[in-house]
Amino acid sequence: MTDIREHVLKIKHISVIFDGFKALTDVDINVKRNSIHFFIGPNGAGKTTLLDIICARTKPTSGTVHYYPLGRNAVRLTGMKEYQIVNEGIGRKFQVPSVFTALTVMENMVLSLKGHKRVWESLFYKLSDKDEMAIMEVLRKVGLADRADVRAGSLAHGEKQWLEIAMQLVQKPEIIMLDEPAAGMGKPETFRTGELLKEIKKDCTVIVVEHDMDFVKQIADTVTVLHEGKVLMEGAVDEVLADQTVQAVYLGRGGERYAGN
Amino acid sequence: MAEIANTLFNGLSLGSIYLLVALGLSVTFGLMGIINMAHGEFVMIGAYMAYVMQQIFAALFGRSGSLYYIAAIPFAFAVTFLLGCIMERTLVTRLYGRKMDSLLATWGISLILQQAARSIFGSQGVNVNAPDFLKSGIQIGGCTFSYNRIFIICMVAACLGAVWFLMNKSSFGAQMRATMQNRAMAQCMGINTKKVDCLTFALGSGLAGVAGCSVALLGSVDSTVGQSYIVYSFMTVVLGGVGNLLGTVLGAMIIGFSSIIVEAYQSASIARAIVLFMIIVFLQFRPRGLFTIRSRSLDE
Amino acid sequence: MRRLKGNHICFTVIAVMLACSPFLVGSSSMVQFLGKCMCYSIVAIALDLIWGYTGMLSLGHGIYFCLGGYAMAMYLRLRDNGGALTDFMQTGGLTKLPFFWKPFLSFPLAMLLVILVPGVLAAVIGYFVFRSRIKGVYFSIITQALTWAAYSLFIANSKYTGGNNGITDFTSVFGSTRGVANRGHLTAMFFVALAALVLVYLLASWLVNSKFGKLLIAIRDGENRTFFSGYCVNQYKNFIYTLSAVLAGIGGALFVNFNGSITPSQMTIAYSITMVVWVAVGGRGTVIGAVIGAFFINLCEYNLSSGALAGIWQYIVGAIFGVTILFFKGGIVGIVKEQIPALFARLQSAPAAEKEKKEAA
Repeated sequence: MTDIREHVLKIKHISVIFDGFKALTDVDINVKRNSIHFFIGPNGAGKTTLLDIICARTKPTSGTVHYYPLGRNAVRLTGMKEYQIVNEGIGRKFQVPSVFTALTVMENMVLSLKGHKRVWESLFYKLSDKDEMAIMEVLRKVGLADRADVRAGSLAHGEKQWLEIAMQLVQKPEIIMLDEPAAGMGKPETFRTGELLKEIKKDCTVIVVEHDMDFVKQIADTVTVLHEGKVLMEGAVDEVLADQTVQAVYLGRGGERYAGN
Repeated sequence: MAEIANTLFNGLSLGSIYLLVALGLSVTFGLMGIINMAHGEFVMIGAYMAYVMQQIFAALFGRSGSLYYIAAIPFAFAVTFLLGCIMERTLVTRLYGRKMDSLLATWGISLILQQAARSIFGSQGVNVNAPDFLKSGIQIGGCTFSYNRIFIICMVAACLGAVWFLMNKSSFGAQMRATMQNRAMAQCMGINTKKVDCLTFALGSGLAGVAGCSVALLGSVDSTVGQSYIVYSFMTVVLGGVGNLLGTVLGAMIIGFSSIIVEAYQSASIARAIVLFMIIVFLQFRPRGLFTIRSRSLDE
Repeated sequence: MRRLKGNHICFTVIAVMLACSPFLVGSSSMVQFLGKCMCYSIVAIALDLIWGYTGMLSLGHGIYFCLGGYAMAMYLRLRDNGGALTDFMQTGGLTKLPFFWKPFLSFPLAMLLVILVPGVLAAVIGYFVFRSRIKGVYFSIITQALTWAAYSLFIANSKYTGGNNGITDFTSVFGSTRGVANRGHLTAMFFVALAALVLVYLLASWLVNSKFGKLLIAIRDGENRTFFSGYCVNQYKNFIYTLSAVLAGIGGALFVNFNGSITPSQMTIAYSITMVVWVAVGGRGTVIGAVIGAFFINLCEYNLSSGALAGIWQYIVGAIFGVTILFFKGGIVGIVKEQIPALFARLQSAPAAEKEKKEAA
């Protein structure tokens, strides 16, 4: 029972095969509540696929994912539809910023608010003062409060990333998954994002896929290293980065990749 | 027994016609992502070119004979190829990546081409007489296999072979596939992607012209002749999986055979509805068609 | 908010002009034509809701327009006929009224079916199509195929549907609208259509400005993102698709009152795409654009397609359409709202920039 309280997400024996290619093989990962958990690994290690499986964008060939929300019964995520999973309290930010470009920042946030997701509810929905306050608070957190009426399409790249994070936050998720949140950001912006995530951690669990090692060192509680679809190692940052095998498969080749990007 | 053979033969020949029309589409739609609503009109132009050749030969030699049809095929291919080139350069080149807009803009062209055909050839249908060597058929057992249907099947096989060879074995094919997969990279490799685009689109149009020549053998030709084939041909490409030659072949055959089989029990129009309904049911299970290509982007 | 107001003012002007027209225009055929244009506008708004806002290009709205039209026409034909068999049924060898014609003996039932038939069909089609996440051009191709299938079914079963000729020889709900003596009927019918147009315009405006409307735009711009924001996109799509079909059906039902006949030619793919042309030329993604487009294209057609220009009318439509798609994505509304102001801005800034240059020098 204590185990269930401690972990918010349990990934059990997940395997995925795409047309004969084994993207993931027998992956077991437990994610602790209110922690920042990183999935790292070289390109093609299966990090994004793993996120896809948690949020039901991809169906696993075998294995299950269970989710243990606070104060409610455990939920089996495998087999659920993506929008149901979101409404259970698991948000996801994609690698390429995907906000609704034709709508304003405010409208983007209103659509992301928790609740009112059925057709009839949305027809007669009126933004309450309380919801508006909640939205403005989140926007202040990510520094977009003064841009609420700007069309999302005209935001800068970094601002779009933050808007997308804000859209996740306003849903009040228990787990928030971020795919390369620092991609395309400069050092100061990346640092700010890191500090933001640390603050978010107080209310929910954060799962991050990221290449930027400084970013990992800045905020990670737990790191899982994936390699060729398998879990290579899991542990605290220093522990993992000191490991010889990890250095061989990942860090040793890191320099090349950064040059490539 | 004879009945079964007959059904199979009819299914094969109907499937072949859809395939011939769909072959060009699978090039423009499948490879380039352009929905060419004027494809049916290229078929129509091909059919009219067969008619034009017939009239020219009749004027020169007194009777059209057989040779006119042999001449008509490359002629129709050349004319539609050229028209395809012009259309790509002026219109389609502005529409890459805008699938829905390509559908609408090319529909505007289709209206213009239809009206042009009416202005030139009149709104009455014209007849293309089958060349002498296709006039009869062979009798095997109790059923007749008409030569012109056999000819169409052979023509499809030839076109299919040619397209397959061009795409997979020639250097132009390699350039074409490279361009369609990754335009920027292809440019870096020194491929003239504009030229490749133009020729690929023209090739698709040219194939429509050849299809038009065969369609001309099946009935009278008027400005809307292309429309009757275009719906099934689009369905063929969708059913087979976009961008897959084998899928297109299978899709065409499935549609051809199932139409013939259902038609044995129902009227043609109800058969049409049933076959379309079956395709939609099938797409419930494989929304991307028989053969699919995976994409990693969130919204393509 | 100012942009919205402009739209509403524009629609009010159109509506007031239309309301005056039966009293100012002498020719009955012109009034009838304007009446038809209002029905086209309703269909255009319906199409704009799913294409301009939600990004689903239906090439099959002719089906729903015709289903509404046929439902109305069946009632009117039976009423004018005294409930007896129609000529095409007799030719087809029927001895009694087919069962599905029977509900059309009653006016309230017929009105209900005007809404239900297109609505239920669209809901069923939508359920399957959206469930399997068929979208984009695949959706267009499938709707096109469905239109074709429906068209051939209507043509083939001529003893039930009147085949190629469709249903003809009936008068409007209010009685005959032809001639000076019946002008009152025509005016009454005209105002019914105008009221319907105003209601549909208000409904659509309300919809697109609600959270629901923002969601439609969200689906258009990023369907998967909408899923991952926790929305069951299929339901939204199906709802708007069904609503759109119902509106198209109402448009069709009003249309037959002015037209006096309905034929399967209004169910063809070509006709369905013509409806798309209205929306594209007027301005997709704005409700007013759909209305303007329907009036503009049909007024052009009315004036050009007879007489000397008849031969080249199709060239003109084709060209207008192609040019709009290529260069004026926003249609007429886009030109007025964005391209002309942008042009003015450039004209104004050009001399200013030159002046600055001179001063700097």
